[in-house]
Amino acid sequence: MSVAATRRQSLWSKAAWKLRRDRFGMLGLAVVLAHFVAAVGVWLGLWATGWGDVAGGKWDSVSSEHWFGTNLIGQDIFQRSIYSISTAFEIGLIVAVLSTLLGAVLGAMAGFFSGRATDEFVVWLMGVLDSIPFYLLVAAIAFALEGNPWSMHVAMISTFWITTARLVRGEVIKLKGLEFVEAAHAIGVPEYTIIFRHILPNTFHILLVQSTITFVAAIKSEVILSFLGLGVKDGMSWGLMISESTFEVLAGFFNNFLAASVLMFGLVMAFSIFSDALQDALDPRQVS
Amino acid sequence: MEVLQYSLRRLVAGIPLLLGVTFISFLLMVYFGPDQTYQLLGKNPTAEQIAEIRAELGYDQPFLVRYADYLREVATLDFGNSNSTGELVTDLLARTIPVSLMLILPGFLLGNLLALLLALLAAHYRSRWPDKGIMAFSVVGMSISYLIVIIAFQVIFSSSSGLGWFPVRGWNVHSLAEYLEYVTVPTLATVFVALGYNTRFYRSVIVEELNRDHVRTARAFGVPPAKLLYRNVLKNCLIPIITRVVFTIPLIVISGALLVETYFGIPGVGKVTFDAITTGDQPVLKAVVGLTAVLFVLAQLVVDVLYRAVDPRVSLS
Repeated sequence: MSVAATRRQSLWSKAAWKLRRDRFGMLGLAVVLAHFVAAVGVWLGLWATGWGDVAGGKWDSVSSEHWFGTNLIGQDIFQRSIYSISTAFEIGLIVAVLSTLLGAVLGAMAGFFSGRATDEFVVWLMGVLDSIPFYLLVAAIAFALEGNPWSMHVAMISTFWITTARLVRGEVIKLKGLEFVEAAHAIGVPEYTIIFRHILPNTFHILLVQSTITFVAAIKSEVILSFLGLGVKDGMSWGLMISESTFEVLAGFFNNFLAASVLMFGLVMAFSIFSDALQDALDPRQVS
Repeated sequence: MEVLQYSLRRLVAGIPLLLGVTFISFLLMVYFGPDQTYQLLGKNPTAEQIAEIRAELGYDQPFLVRYADYLREVATLDFGNSNSTGELVTDLLARTIPVSLMLILPGFLLGNLLALLLALLAAHYRSRWPDKGIMAFSVVGMSISYLIVIIAFQVIFSSSSGLGWFPVRGWNVHSLAEYLEYVTVPTLATVFVALGYNTRFYRSVIVEELNRDHVRTARAFGVPPAKLLYRNVLKNCLIPIITRVVFTIPLIVISGALLVETYFGIPGVGKVTFDAITTGDQPVLKAVVGLTAVLFVLAQLVVDVLYRAVDPRVSLS
């Protein structure tokens, strides 16, 4: 057996090898990384600094000065749509990381103590939050937090953790019957160490895939929430651009709408394709 | 008889869920919700007038008393009058829920049936070009925001810069022709968005079933593909399909139409609820939230009974 073949033995190295061979997946990753570079540039102040300046006339058409034209009050649409990439990444990353963490912790606890009070409580909580329509919950949280700019994030996190928790719970119930957990019990490892050091790392492939799915869901929700007036308060986002454009499109001016839609479509689609590829690569039924 | 007994047991088991939903909604929407005192008062109110209004709204009561009052109202369907329009809440819902249902049902049905057909087609031609084409289409469909689809379809079909075939906004339905005129564009948008998600889900369910031994045996016995897909595959996939369909119904009744209703200016229940949250119209909120919770418990019950109907191995005890 060659060295390369022996190296491909763990789940992760096999998955990485499989992912690299997935052309569409890698293309998706490349598009996501391109968006990410654009976002980092905005955070560092390298470009799109003039997104709020009035630099031209009403609805200027595409020119070398304004690549995508200008909006109603003469702001540069190209700069606004690039700036919005950083907003999308901020929302996506914060929501994905926090809701995955919450889902992992609650799901692992529920799975480990399945059938006991902790589990009953978590399952009940998931059922309850699932039964409240998402947009109504967001609106309610937004008003309960009195227009706090983070209310959108709080609302998304408080519903998006549920799917992750369900999957982790199921996996943990499966894992806790295995020998390595039994062995840990036998040598007297404390319960919470078993949950978080022995079992939870084994669900990492679920968490990784779920966090990419949550990232996409967060970006898509932002657009709708901003349109409903519950989303981004300060700054600029694709949702705000699209909601600006709702009467422009009826007047026959499409630049604002197209710029935001196309960039968002590109990011969401690339991320979904990457997420699918990741899922295929990490699927233990296919890897082993 | 067995089904009745089981249903009653399930309804009792649904009580914690009902309590949870009503409690969280009460906490968020009523207790921490917008304060209505000054909206209902005239200019320069006296201290007594303020106190009177607050007593009327129940603001001076302790938390638990207000929550108990809320539960009593949900149980007796006595929600009172809407604060903003003065209309009886039950009348308001009776007027708006049918509009939302008429608006959403065609899209919901078409979205699921078409998706099931596409999924069967994709699964049948697995890994060949019809499958790849359908799955590429569904990834594209999933990647476009619902809002963008609604705006684009409105521009294409309704606006003067597009085809201009249908009315841009509103809901002025008195006959079938008018209904079709107003419902077409929202339905197209709903179907377009639902197709992506549904097709993907149904395809994965069907492919899983296709890999089973009994399907291979049936194929070996020479069962023709259409019959195989219907009798051996589709019927065995009914449980996940039923779950998905039934559990989306409560959401459709209450909020599924919110975006379409807001954008097309249609007076449905989603719009009414959303306005109620933003203005703090508590009687309406209480009614809608209580109703959603009840619908979810009922959906769970319906799903369990249907499981039994499609799969005799499932026991109801």
